[in-house]
Amino acid sequence: MKKLRTHGGIIRKPIFRILGIIAAVLLALTACSSGGGSPTATKTSGTNPGKAADTATMALPPNTVPNWIWPFSPLADFSVANGSDLQFLMFRPLYWFGNQGKAEINDSLSLAAEPTYSNGGKTVTIKLKDYKWSNGETLTSQNVMFWFNMLKAEKKNFAAYAPGQFPDNVVSASAPDAKTVVFNTNKAYSQQWFLYNQLSTITPMPNAWDMTAANTKGDCATNESGCAAVYAYLTAQSKDLPTYATNPLWQVVDGPWKLSKFNADGHLTFVPNTSYSGPVKPALKEFIEVPFTTDSAEFNVLRAGDTIDVGYLPTQDLKQAKPANTGPAEAGPNPLSTNYTLAPWFLYGVNYFPINFNNPTVGPIFKQLYFRQALQSVVDQKGILGSAAKNYGVPTTGPVPLYPSDSPLISQTEKNNPYPFSIANAKKYLTDNGWTVNPGGTSVCAKPGTGAGECGAGVAAGAKMDFDLQYASGNQTITTAMQSMKSNAAQVGITLNISSEPFNKVIAAASPCSGKTCTWQMANWGGGWVYLPDYYPTGEELWQTGAGSNSGSYSNPMVDQLITNTTTTSGVDVLHAYEDALAKDLPVIWQPNYTYSLTEVANGLKGATTQNPYSPINPENWAW
Amino acid sequence: MSDPGRAEVEVSGALPEPVHAATGLPVGKAKSMFRLGFEVFIQNKLAIVGLVVLALAVLFCFVAPLFYRTDQVTVNLLQTNLPPGPGHPLGTDETGYDELGRLMVGGQTSLAIGFAAAIIATIVGTVWGAIAGFFGGAVDAVMMRIVDAILSIPILFLLLFLVTIVRPSIPVMIFVLGLTAWLVPARLVRGESLTLRVREYVQAVRVMGGSSWHSVLRHIMPNVVGTVIVNATFQVADAILLIAYLGYLGLGISPPATDWGGMLSNGSAFIFPNYWWLIYPPGILIIVVVVAVNLVGDGLRDSVEVRLQRR
Repeated sequence: MKKLRTHGGIIRKPIFRILGIIAAVLLALTACSSGGGSPTATKTSGTNPGKAADTATMALPPNTVPNWIWPFSPLADFSVANGSDLQFLMFRPLYWFGNQGKAEINDSLSLAAEPTYSNGGKTVTIKLKDYKWSNGETLTSQNVMFWFNMLKAEKKNFAAYAPGQFPDNVVSASAPDAKTVVFNTNKAYSQQWFLYNQLSTITPMPNAWDMTAANTKGDCATNESGCAAVYAYLTAQSKDLPTYATNPLWQVVDGPWKLSKFNADGHLTFVPNTSYSGPVKPALKEFIEVPFTTDSAEFNVLRAGDTIDVGYLPTQDLKQAKPANTGPAEAGPNPLSTNYTLAPWFLYGVNYFPINFNNPTVGPIFKQLYFRQALQSVVDQKGILGSAAKNYGVPTTGPVPLYPSDSPLISQTEKNNPYPFSIANAKKYLTDNGWTVNPGGTSVCAKPGTGAGECGAGVAAGAKMDFDLQYASGNQTITTAMQSMKSNAAQVGITLNISSEPFNKVIAAASPCSGKTCTWQMANWGGGWVYLPDYYPTGEELWQTGAGSNSGSYSNPMVDQLITNTTTTSGVDVLHAYEDALAKDLPVIWQPNYTYSLTEVANGLKGATTQNPYSPINPENWAW
Repeated sequence: MSDPGRAEVEVSGALPEPVHAATGLPVGKAKSMFRLGFEVFIQNKLAIVGLVVLALAVLFCFVAPLFYRTDQVTVNLLQTNLPPGPGHPLGTDETGYDELGRLMVGGQTSLAIGFAAAIIATIVGTVWGAIAGFFGGAVDAVMMRIVDAILSIPILFLLLFLVTIVRPSIPVMIFVLGLTAWLVPARLVRGESLTLRVREYVQAVRVMGGSSWHSVLRHIMPNVVGTVIVNATFQVADAILLIAYLGYLGLGISPPATDWGGMLSNGSAFIFPNYWWLIYPPGILIIVVVVAVNLVGDGLRDSVEVRLQRR
C-alpha cells in the first residue's frame, strides 16, 4: 500500500489535505474553548484603555455605521448612528432633549430659550442664546431661517416631515433681529407638542453651507426659491463619505466636537471644537468611534480590555436572565465587572417592523386588518424577552412606550395588549376570513371577495401567505426573534422567508414608495423608532398618511384625524384615543422593545453612565 | 527454503495455482478490474475505517431520526440553551431545538448537498472534459478556456455572489455547489481523454465507421471512470466543507433547516457563556466526515492504481 501511495498522484495528496482540515477545524475549536469559562474567569489584558492618552473609544452598534453627515436627512439615512453618533456631536439642534437621563427638554444644552406663545397661541417667538460657529461667526436667526427655508423647499426629502405640519402649519416666519425668530402658525397648537415635535426638528445651519458649488454662494438663508440648488450641492457633499473629515463645509460646527478622521467603514475620530460656546467643554483629547460587524466581534474586543472604553454586552453572553420584574434599564449581573460598569441604556421609543402596504403583489393582503392581527399574534414578545433578551426590554403594544411603566401617557388598551401571542387566535383570524390554513405549508385564499368571511379587496383566489422579511444582521437577539416568528408563523401557514442584511441596507430598503418598483415586503432593522426628533409620542412622523418616516405607507383617515387632535389639544385623553386606535389597527408589526445597549463603561471613565433616553451622546461630559 | 503457504497447499492435496514469473501474482483465470480494485481497497485499513465512519454518519443522519424524534421546526423559547441532560442528551440551542436532533437534521443537509453536488459536478465535469479531450482542436481550446476563466474566480467569492442573488435552499445549494465544482473533474477527464483518444481501440472504432459520440460514450468515459470516482469522493468532502463555510458566514440554508456549518456559526455566538454543546459536536462531525470521505477516496485511488499497474 505504501508503495502504491507514493506512486499515487492521480489527483492530490489527501494526507496533507486531511491534516490541513484537521488543523484548521481544531484551531477553530480551540479558539472556541478559549472563550469559555465562567463569567468570573473573564480574561482581560488591560483596563482603562484610553486613560493614558486621555481619549475615549466607543463601540458602534453591530453592522451600523454613520453614512450621512448633513443633519437634513432623508429617511434612508435617518438613523441613530447618523444623528446621535455623528451629526449631533458637531451640529447642535435648536432644542436639546434628554436631561440627566430623563426624557425631557434640556434647557442648558439648547441653543435657544424655550419659546413664548402669544396671539392666542398662534405666534411662537424664539430667542437664541449666544452661540458661535467654529469659524467665528455668531449663531443668528438667519441660521434658523436657512433651515426653515430648506425645509419648506425640500420637505419631502426630510425624514421627519409630516404633511400638514411643520413647515406647512407655519403661515409666516421672520427674523426681526439677529437673535429672534417668529413663527405664525395657522392655528393654536398644543404648546408641548409644538416644542417637542415641531421646533425640535430644527437644526440651525451655518452661512458656510449656503452654497450651490464649491465657490458659489447660494441664497437659501433668505430665499426659499434658492434652496433647491443648495440642497443638491449639500446632498452631493453628504454622499461623499471619504471627504467628511476634510471638506471645509463640515468643519464649521457649533457643537463641542469636530470630525478629524472619517473612514466609511465606521472608524471615526472627533477632536474638541476649541471655540465651542456651550456650557460643557470637552475634557478628552479625542473621542473615537469604532465599528463591528457583529455583537460577538465587539464583545471579543471588549473582553480583551485594551481598546474599548464604552462598549456593550451582547445579551447572548449573559448566562442567566435577570428577574422579569426588573425594568429594562436596571442592570443585572455584570460578567465584566472587573474592568467595566454595566449601565443598561433604554431608549424612549417603540420597536416594530413595517410592512409595505404599497407592494403591488402582497400589499392588498397587508391592507387586511385580519392579516395584520394574525401576524401580530404570532410574535411571542414575552418569550423572546425572557430568553434571547434576558429580560432586557419591554413588549411593544402600541405607539407609546410601555416604559417608564408609570407614565400617564400609556393607555389601558396598550397595557392589556390587544393581540397577545396566540397561534390559535392567528389561525382563527385567517380561517374566519376565507383562508385555507395549511400549518407547516402555505395558507391560500379560498374565498376571494370583499364580503364578510372573504379574503378582502385585491386578494385573489389562490393568493398565498408567502412573504420576504429582511432583518438587520449582526445581532443575535434579533436573529433569534426572527427565527421564533418564522417558526410561529409557519404553524398557521404564513411562510416568512427571512434573510439578514446590514442595517443600512435594511433601512434604505424600507422607504415609502409606490408603483411597480415598490417591491420590498417586510423590513426589520431591529430598533424600531426612538422618539427623536418627535419627542412627544404622537407619531405624526410615523403613521400619518404621507409622513416622511411612514415606511410602509400606512394610511387610515381616522388615525390621521386622531393624530391631528393630539397636536392641537393638550392632555392625555386625545393621546389615549390615538394610541388605542393604532394599538388595534396595527400600522406595523410590534416587536419587543429591547434595551438599546447593555453599555459597559470602563471603570474610571466618569460621566458616561448617565445616558440620554433619546439616544444622543455627550462625550464632552466624559473624563478620566 | 520451505514455503509454509505452499506446504499447506500440498498437504491439502489441491493443485498449485500457476504464478506469473515476473509479478508473482496468480495467472490463468483473470479477475475483473473491479475485483482487483476491491481487493486492494479492503486491504487499506484507513479506507475501511473511513467507509465505516461514513456509513455510521449516514445512519446517524438519516436513520436515527426515525427512532430519536425531535421537533426541528417549531421554536421553543422556554427551552433555550439547556445544557446536556435528561431529555436532551446534547442540550438545546438558542431557539430551543434539541441539539442532537439538530445534528441529525443538519447532517442530512450537509451530506445530501455534499453527495448531490459531487454527483452533479462529476457528471458535468466528466462529459465536458471527455468531449474537450476527445475532439481536441478548437473545441478543446474553447471549452477549456471557459474552464480556465471560471477557475480564475475564487470559488468562495463566486459562491457568495451566487447565494446573494438566489435565496439559499437545499436544491439551490446543490445546484450552486455542483455548478462551481465541475471544473476540476473536467480538467482531469480532459487530460485522460487526450491519452485515450489515440489508443488503438479508439482508432479502431473510427476505422470501422463508429461515430465520435460512440467513442466518447463507450470508450472514453468508461475508461476514465477510475479517475472520476476517486475525484468524486474528494468533491463530496469539498462540498461539505463549502456548505459549512457558507453556513458559517450566515449565507447557508435558512432556518428551520440547517447544516453543520450553520450550527457551528450559531454556536460561535455563545463562546463566552461556554455553551460547548453548540460548538464541539458540529465541528467534530465536520472533521470526522470530511476525513472519512478523504480516507475512502484515498483507498479508491490506490485501488485504481493497482488496476493500472496490472495492465
